[in-house]
Amino acid sequence: MRGMIMSTESQTFTEKFDLLGCIQCGRCTGGCPVTVRTNLNVRRFVYDAYSEEKLEELAKLAEIWDCTACHTCAVRCPKGLKPLEVLIGLRSMLVDSGKVQSTVRNALESVYLEGNPWEKPKATRYDWMEGLDVKLAKPDTPVENLFFVCCTIAYDPRLQVVAKNMVRLLNKAGADYGFMAEGESCCGSEIHTLGEELLFEEIVGENTAFLNDFQARRVITLSPHCFATYKARYPHLNKPVLHYTQLLAELLQQGNLSWGHDLQKKVVFHDPCYLGKQSGVYDEPRRLLKSIKGVELVEFDRSRERSLCCEGGGGKMWVESESKKERLAETRIKDAHNLGAQIVAVACPFCVLTLEDAMKALGYEEEMRVAEMTELLAELA
Amino acid sequence: MKIFVCIKYVPDTSEAVVKVNAEGTAVDSSRFSFDINDADNYAVEESVQIKEKYTGTVTVLSIGPKESEVMIRMAMAKGCDNAVRVEDARIAAFDPLLLAKVLAGAIKGQEFDLVLTGCMAADDGQMATGVALAEELGVAHAAMVKKVEILEGKVKAYRELEGGLMEVVEVALPAVLTIQTGINEPRYAPIRGIREAQKKELKVVGLDDLGVAAGDVDASASRIVVEKLYLPEVVSSAEFIEGEPEQKAEKLASILVKGGLV
Repeated sequence: MRGMIMSTESQTFTEKFDLLGCIQCGRCTGGCPVTVRTNLNVRRFVYDAYSEEKLEELAKLAEIWDCTACHTCAVRCPKGLKPLEVLIGLRSMLVDSGKVQSTVRNALESVYLEGNPWEKPKATRYDWMEGLDVKLAKPDTPVENLFFVCCTIAYDPRLQVVAKNMVRLLNKAGADYGFMAEGESCCGSEIHTLGEELLFEEIVGENTAFLNDFQARRVITLSPHCFATYKARYPHLNKPVLHYTQLLAELLQQGNLSWGHDLQKKVVFHDPCYLGKQSGVYDEPRRLLKSIKGVELVEFDRSRERSLCCEGGGGKMWVESESKKERLAETRIKDAHNLGAQIVAVACPFCVLTLEDAMKALGYEEEMRVAEMTELLAELA
Repeated sequence: MKIFVCIKYVPDTSEAVVKVNAEGTAVDSSRFSFDINDADNYAVEESVQIKEKYTGTVTVLSIGPKESEVMIRMAMAKGCDNAVRVEDARIAAFDPLLLAKVLAGAIKGQEFDLVLTGCMAADDGQMATGVALAEELGVAHAAMVKKVEILEGKVKAYRELEGGLMEVVEVALPAVLTIQTGINEPRYAPIRGIREAQKKELKVVGLDDLGVAAGDVDASASRIVVEKLYLPEVVSSAEFIEGEPEQKAEKLASILVKGGLV
């Protein structure tokens, strides 16, 4: 059995994560949303990881899998460090030893073999397009907006509607766009946070070459996870990347989109961590919602950069926390219920899954609805 | 310990829409994903664990196309030392008895203590290859093994039987064990390991290299003729039992008694 790898070939763990830069102020732990339900203390990990001989023991602690990679700790760190990356570094050591739980193993192997973490065949990735009038992109044909569909949206029957509705909205707006009908593969967001560093490197290389080949002005992503990953972790991508809410807000402003119906509902927008905290997109989704006649847009107490994580990121779709305390998604839905919101609008596939589950678990199905933004907009267009 | 582990590259049909080709002779696999057969994955893990405990070598053996090399490299990333892939269009791959002959041809003439393989392939579900392989090699076997203990010159094998029974047998080495899922927790094949596994030997051989006569393992040698493949007709035969709970229970009991089910 290969031993755990203490550091990368060229850097020690301390150097890689700039552990000596930490002043132990505690702002990371103070803001960490999962501390209310798990034993995770990220400041402690940053402190302990300085001792290389402790790393192997630290990597075995269950808490390293509680982190949702929401980036609150990174946003709050006064030294500009990313404490969560220390936890990902520890996960990497475990991944390299092969000793990860079966759900993580299956997700990683599925990305390696089939280009998606859901153990689905490559060949069925585009089935969501069936029966739709969708324009396809070709590398040699110039296109304004090249769409990248997230694996979860492409395969999950609950979420395929996001891609379908996007096509309907784009056709209505007469937008210049193209979807990919072959070669599309996982962006690697969750592979990075699950700690499979080398697989992520391979994915970045392959996707960069693939996307750079298209004569597109920009890439539009449907998931904030793909969006944040392409923006922050693809240094050689030759085009800007947008989240779809930014494109729709632009089409609305240009007068290419309008709503044929009004919506007399109280709506609250849940900021996805990967769209807000990690990418700084807060206003476009709200602009879209405010443009709908009849909508009363209310705000969570914890909104924008203080938004409460739904626990869907950081590879958590494949790792169940040991904690039996209330899920953050349930806390979020209770907050929405207390606000009297009839619709919780979200713009992230993982947030849809976690919040909808929480809403059902709390028995609020009759009173409220969790809706992906494209669901609301396509119904009104 | 010198171990061979036989693995098969199979389609995942758990959620897929299965269609038979136009000739009615094979399943259309163009939209399937392929990976190591589930039970074989446990056999790989068990082989590597035995090697880690007792030292030795593990050789992967597989009959399959070039595409299956990704699976073989993953097995080597987990700790197997080398591999042999057999590819020959003449092999009647639908017949487990003939596959066993081919596998035996790849093993014969070499020393070995154990041959491990999954107890069942997810594609044809025959559960025959491993046992037939023991016969071809002229060694003892234990099937459906859920736990292995290595003893002096023999193994103690715990066999999972119907109704939750566990049969414990001692089998003299060399032996073939067909491994049941759940015997261990298969590890992940990290990319770092897969890259290192590229340096390990993977031999590709045909029937002639193995000294196996094609006439012994091709369709003419098989006692199986695939006449026709078809999807079972979907019929509806559900009966809804109406009435108050007591009436429902009475009707249900009467149906079960009449049907000889209780």
